[in-house]
Amino acid sequence: MKLARVNTVLLIAILLINGYVILLPLLPNLLYSRDKHSPKATAITKQTTTHSNNPPIAGDAEQLLIPSMVFDEKINEGRDISVLRQGLWRLPYSSTPDKGSNTVIVGHRFTYTNPQGTLYHLDKVRKGDPIAILWHGKKYQYSVTEIKEVKPNQVEVEAPTADSQLTIYTCTPLWNPKDRLVVVAKLEHIYER
Amino acid sequence: MNDKKQFWILLGLLLASLTLLWYATAHLGHVSIP
Repeated sequence: MKLARVNTVLLIAILLINGYVILLPLLPNLLYSRDKHSPKATAITKQTTTHSNNPPIAGDAEQLLIPSMVFDEKINEGRDISVLRQGLWRLPYSSTPDKGSNTVIVGHRFTYTNPQGTLYHLDKVRKGDPIAILWHGKKYQYSVTEIKEVKPNQVEVEAPTADSQLTIYTCTPLWNPKDRLVVVAKLEHIYER
Repeated sequence: MNDKKQFWILLGLLLASLTLLWYATAHLGHVSIP
């Protein structure tokens, strides 16, 4: 009788662990469905596409805005990969928006620990979508020109470029992240505050 | 099935689940910078 109770506890533990592993990666999709028609989505779209530089939505930090992902996150700076635990990371050996060339920003697709899904919805971005970076008081407005998947060793996506561009990449596919999903956007306008 | 047999099966499944949880937490979604 006592062993039967232990068995019940074991069964509940198994169900909870597997439920957590299976359901947590689906959570960002539920949040996206909730947010895509929200006032937050409207505010991000407006902030990204207006032909002026409105004050940032959240604070004065450097930010990346992607309306198609309902995305508005701080761009973190740092020397090593541990910065990814804070969210977005601008690769320190890449350019910055004010210096032209290739600004490379990366983030986790999904992790069970924080930050759970920084670039989870990067696959929802399409060619022609607007993206903006708020950088040192200016707004850099980009338009997506290329979406591709590459192998992790294809470092040419990080190479300097003649034109000002933004490269964002994360892991793909979601469940077996062996490749990199790369979104390239060309600079269209710069707005002073 | 008796309780003892059921216990060993469930214990095995629990260990497998914990291994899955460890793998998922340690490896899924990580960006490896080239």
